[in-house]
Amino acid sequence: MTRTATAVGRKSDLRLVLADVGYEQLAFWRNPFAAAFSVGFSLVFLVLLGVSGAGSGHIAFLGNIRTIVYYVPGFVAYGVMATCFNVLAITVVNRREAGLLKRLRLSPLPPWIFLTGLFLNALIVTLLQVVALLAVGRLAYHVNLPHHLPALFLAVVVGAVAFTAIGVAASTLVPNQDAAGPILSIVFFVLLFLSGLWFPLRSSSALARISAWFPVRHLMAATFAPYDPRPHARAYAWTDLLVLGAWGVAAALVAVRRFRWEPRRH
Amino acid sequence: MGGLSKRYGALRAVRDVSFSVAEGEVFALLGPNGAGKTTTVEILEGFRSRDEGHVDVLGFDPADRATSRQLRERLGIVLQELAVEPFLTVREVLTRTAGFYPDPRPVDEVIELVGLDEKADARVKHLSGGQQRRLDVGLGIVGRPELIFLDEPTTGFDPAARRGAWSLVRSLRGEGSTVVLTTHYMDEAEELADRVAVIAGGRIVAQGDPASLGSRREVHIRFRLPDGVTPDRLPVPAAVDGDRVSIETTDEVAVLHRLTGWALEGGVPLAGLTVERASLEDVYLQLTGPQAPA
Repeated sequence: MTRTATAVGRKSDLRLVLADVGYEQLAFWRNPFAAAFSVGFSLVFLVLLGVSGAGSGHIAFLGNIRTIVYYVPGFVAYGVMATCFNVLAITVVNRREAGLLKRLRLSPLPPWIFLTGLFLNALIVTLLQVVALLAVGRLAYHVNLPHHLPALFLAVVVGAVAFTAIGVAASTLVPNQDAAGPILSIVFFVLLFLSGLWFPLRSSSALARISAWFPVRHLMAATFAPYDPRPHARAYAWTDLLVLGAWGVAAALVAVRRFRWEPRRH
Repeated sequence: MGGLSKRYGALRAVRDVSFSVAEGEVFALLGPNGAGKTTTVEILEGFRSRDEGHVDVLGFDPADRATSRQLRERLGIVLQELAVEPFLTVREVLTRTAGFYPDPRPVDEVIELVGLDEKADARVKHLSGGQQRRLDVGLGIVGRPELIFLDEPTTGFDPAARRGAWSLVRSLRGEGSTVVLTTHYMDEAEELADRVAVIAGGRIVAQGDPASLGSRREVHIRFRLPDGVTPDRLPVPAAVDGDRVSIETTDEVAVLHRLTGWALEGGVPLAGLTVERASLEDVYLQLTGPQAPA
């Protein structure tokens, strides 16, 4: 058989990435679990905390800010993690076990385009969610935008990159579809709880010192920093961002080493 | 390809497998479950690495990462598993996949070819198992492949769907595509393939065109040994077991002529005379059974 030139009519890689993000978006918003668990949960939690009165107090040790002001960046962090870690990891496990990853691997689509599409999809969902949370906070609870909006944006993007890597790494540790939801969600919610999503923690407390070992607490610290009213506070939480980056790099290494395209049941 | 081997730890999944497939040919790898069919095909597809041997697919080494995209643009692959994004529609999934290839078939043409016209805008998760499977086949051909791998394309199909799949394979061949399929159905191999390789225990135990495979040219002649006749008085060489005589020959006309001539002349009855050609199924069972040559 002869070799012929093949590169003639193929779409450019950039167009392939854009097309892939488009299909990922369609699949994401049509998947009731994905949309509800990430965007739905974060908005519902914020609204419930607001209407229940849980957000109406003040937190003395955080410069006496209103509790609801603490919750807005907290749920921004939740949104980043739910989308990039939890939903993404479960999606990857489901696709792997259904044989979808194998089929993609056997198509001419280069793996980096698929992985870029996966990440950009998660980033788009995350950013839309952050905008929705900031809007609800502003309109319903008079939570002003942070003075350092770029600092919040940076925290969200660093968080999205790091947690996408952690999500892909976590997907390689989960054996099958049935286990994916329960395992990942339990780990996720325990870490959220320990990291002070619902109950603010003093950084000197035992819980805070435990949860400081995990990336969740650092992302929450980084999204809160631009809102921190205390005089010595810095909008850019460089240390926390650095820890997140380190987690991201470590997770990426695990992901690259352990990633499998074919179902585990084989 | 030649001398292909693949080990999983101590298990040798494929041992010294060699065959070549000509352009425009339908080639079937026939064998029981676990024989090494899928492993072999996955090595050809570049999904699995080989431990030994050389492989040439359309002029490429499928294990070479640098050329895998060029190679895959010219391959069509249909896997055993149903593997399609559940939340996209038939048309979306096909359009997406078509975008990966330099010269894809029009999506509507593919939808028609696999008979999903009425489901074109249905989400994949609302399709029946058979319809998903047909979509899978559609995904395998949307890139206008020169070489198509079909891994057990009709396993689990009802008879009508099987006929449909068969006619699709024939029409692909008619368009000049080369088809490599795996199957454990003998009739499928016989119906579709120009050439068949029978694989068992990771080895190829026979290959050739379905009509001449194994000892299919041989004819079995059987009858009961007539009373008062000792085996050495038979006019042709035969195996005798008790009162059962059996003759295996590829020259059945001459043998029968001598045998029946002798019987008529001597007035000897040939009770229970049967003349049979081995079915592909006999050959297959003989080749892949426990006493198979390994």
